[in-house]
Amino acid sequence: MLRTTLRHLGATAAMLVALSVLMFGLLRATPGDPVAAYMDPTAAYSAADIAALRHRMGLDQPLPLQYLDWATAALHGDFGYSTQHDRQPVRAMIAERAGPTLLLMGSGLILSTALGIGAGILAALRRDGPLDVALAVVGSLGVSSPAFLTALLGLFVFAVRLGWAPSGGMTTPGVPTTIADLLAHLALPAAIFAAGQATLTMRYMRAAMLEVMNHDYIRTARAKGVGEVWVICKHATRNALLPVVTLTGANIGAAVGGAIFIESVFNWPGMGLLMVNAVEARDYPVIMGSALVIGLFVLLINLLTDVVCAAVDPRIRVR
Amino acid sequence: MMQMTRRQSLALAGGLAITGARRARAQASRNVMVGGFDVGPGGFQGNFNPLAATAGFQWLNLYYETLVLYDAALENIKGALAASFESNPEKTRFMFHLVPDAKWHDGSAFTSTDVAFTIALAKDAKLGSIFASRLADITDVQTPDAHTAIMVLGKPNGSLPDILTKLMMLPEKALSALPREGLDRNPWWSTSPIGTGPFRFVRYETDQYVELKANSAYRAGKPKLDGVINRYFKNSAGAVAALRSGEIQFSYVESDEAAGFANDPKFHVIDGNSWVMNYIGFNARAGMWSDVRVRRALLQAINRDAIIKAIFKGAADPALSIYTAGNVTPKDLDPYPYDPAHAKLLLQQAGWDKINGSKPLPMLSYYNTPLVTNVMTAIQAMLGQVGIMVTPRQVDVATYNGIVYGQNNDAQFPLVYAGAQDGPEPGIANIYINSKQAPPAGANIMHADVPDLDAALNAALAEPDASKRPARFQQVARVFNTELPWAPLWVGKRYGVLSADIHNFVWTPAPSGGGYEQNAVAWSFS
Repeated sequence: MLRTTLRHLGATAAMLVALSVLMFGLLRATPGDPVAAYMDPTAAYSAADIAALRHRMGLDQPLPLQYLDWATAALHGDFGYSTQHDRQPVRAMIAERAGPTLLLMGSGLILSTALGIGAGILAALRRDGPLDVALAVVGSLGVSSPAFLTALLGLFVFAVRLGWAPSGGMTTPGVPTTIADLLAHLALPAAIFAAGQATLTMRYMRAAMLEVMNHDYIRTARAKGVGEVWVICKHATRNALLPVVTLTGANIGAAVGGAIFIESVFNWPGMGLLMVNAVEARDYPVIMGSALVIGLFVLLINLLTDVVCAAVDPRIRVR
Repeated sequence: MMQMTRRQSLALAGGLAITGARRARAQASRNVMVGGFDVGPGGFQGNFNPLAATAGFQWLNLYYETLVLYDAALENIKGALAASFESNPEKTRFMFHLVPDAKWHDGSAFTSTDVAFTIALAKDAKLGSIFASRLADITDVQTPDAHTAIMVLGKPNGSLPDILTKLMMLPEKALSALPREGLDRNPWWSTSPIGTGPFRFVRYETDQYVELKANSAYRAGKPKLDGVINRYFKNSAGAVAALRSGEIQFSYVESDEAAGFANDPKFHVIDGNSWVMNYIGFNARAGMWSDVRVRRALLQAINRDAIIKAIFKGAADPALSIYTAGNVTPKDLDPYPYDPAHAKLLLQQAGWDKINGSKPLPMLSYYNTPLVTNVMTAIQAMLGQVGIMVTPRQVDVATYNGIVYGQNNDAQFPLVYAGAQDGPEPGIANIYINSKQAPPAGANIMHADVPDLDAALNAALAEPDASKRPARFQQVARVFNTELPWAPLWVGKRYGVLSADIHNFVWTPAPSGGGYEQNAVAWSFS
């Protein structure tokens, strides 16, 4: 078990280094740099203007030196300064935005898992009935709708037309933040975030339930006179949950991608919005820092999943 | 029991959502105006350092102030923190008479030493000041008394007042107490800045909004609004949603979005000259544009009136030179009317009727709106009719600037569809089209090299007599119109949407969002 964990930890560290080198190389290969992004193309800039900007953004150093400087500092937890945002420290920027993203992702994942499991059980129990067909249609729509489209539609319907939810942001500007205000702002983005994830969970749960319901131990339980509710809850659902748990782990990685769209549409002040703004501004330090933190997060979740799987199933441990 | 709990939970969630939306719309009752002040091309969300600001001056001008400002029509420069100013005929010495009763938000007096301090700070390139090169001509700032500042220049510069309309005055007392090294990234700018403006900084809520409150000690009286909030949006579509739901009272919107508000009594649509002339730029190093007949052919192949009518829905005016402002645009410019047959003939006469060779020419642009996609598609079709095959290539700003300012990228942009600020200070054109301003020296990205144009620009810039300057720049417009280093197309309008509840609001779609007189003291709810 220890060997398995150490091996995964080593792989995680190597992947993080590879990720940073890849990100650094790709960013420099992308046309345009932070200075190019900073300049209003309709305005006039002299060579001196541009030189001052390059100096300010630390781009007047050779590339390998820029990477070594960044990597050395990153090892000490210092990701440098943003080239925008009044040159704020990247670490502070990430720390400030990690909470809102975790709140959105966490509530979205809890909601999507609960909805997905519930709907999957119902669909399996009403196999081929009207409810199953309706849920299948909803599921197909959910899986096939891009996150940004669902988000825009949700914004239009619930914020603009119905006025049930604020149109964006995390709190109401200019008033003291309260839990109710925060929840009001969270409800719509979290629900839309959950909608996409829940449909996938529902399909997995339905398939797993159908498979489990045909097993001998379910028949045995029924033959012993165990009540149907107890059979479904205790015997079928618990066993059908295993693939869903694995899926939820994998969903966390995908959720990061989904959060980027949702946060952009709803102006949710999290990591996704930070990343999008940084990419548009070619804010290299912020992109590198955010990618590393998100990469680390996803790798740690994968590591945790692998370790848990190894603990549960001894056949996949390293020998 | 379980069922009741679920119902209660659902009711609670729904109630919270509705309550939140109502709270958001209740800003008006608190006498606080919320707007998307930094939405659109004149905005600069997330920037708090006025020395590094390339845009966003409308918002910065609510809590900082400049020495001078344009009037709302962007025609005349007036006093702001300087009650008046004058210069010698050579434009090498500018004297500013400061208002006597201006105070910083901490209660201390604004004096000429603050002016000298601000100029010194703005000239410090190590602080990343965007003004460092623009103020390079200033060799000395004299402060004979607390309310007089004299700027002495090493060479004539009639554009100095225009530059100063965007230079916010900064407090010496507060900033000199901070370490000079790293001053540009000091948290002061986004946590506790002080200015002399009608509103004072309260707080910045990360990525969400900036809040200001009324400065009750403002020299022109306490503002009618108790506060102003600048809410951040990723794009104008988000701002439109917030406008529609009543959460904000003002935002810039795209021209197609403005149409949706035109007949809504709850809103006023404000429009104005964008001061950005859209053009097709000919890369002079690409070879095929060296004959002026080819450049004229391209312009005459484009039906500008039809595009303005059908795609812009009339929200643009045709351009005939680099300028569109009345006082520097002569009446005798060639309109180059749409005439594809003549365009074909010109191409044949110039020997460029097979201009493409074996493949289409890329037409690069940083505009990514659906409107511009339609415009570029129309241009593509029109040019195709005279045998000029182009392929629109729309990229983001960073990619565009990376290509056009880079070295050896000429093959990637034989043509661009772009925009250039054409005022209100006409001298700005020099850095775009003077042959001495090709990158890396300046912003002549198309490498225009027209000696007559250089001569006209140099003469206009050196003209010390203000009354003769318009005639000088009219000559620039004439040479531009004859030589066509670019094909001038149109100047679009820009739109802002304002809630009908707001009164006395002044908004002009100025280049970079300012700086003009917006009289924010008088803004109010009905």
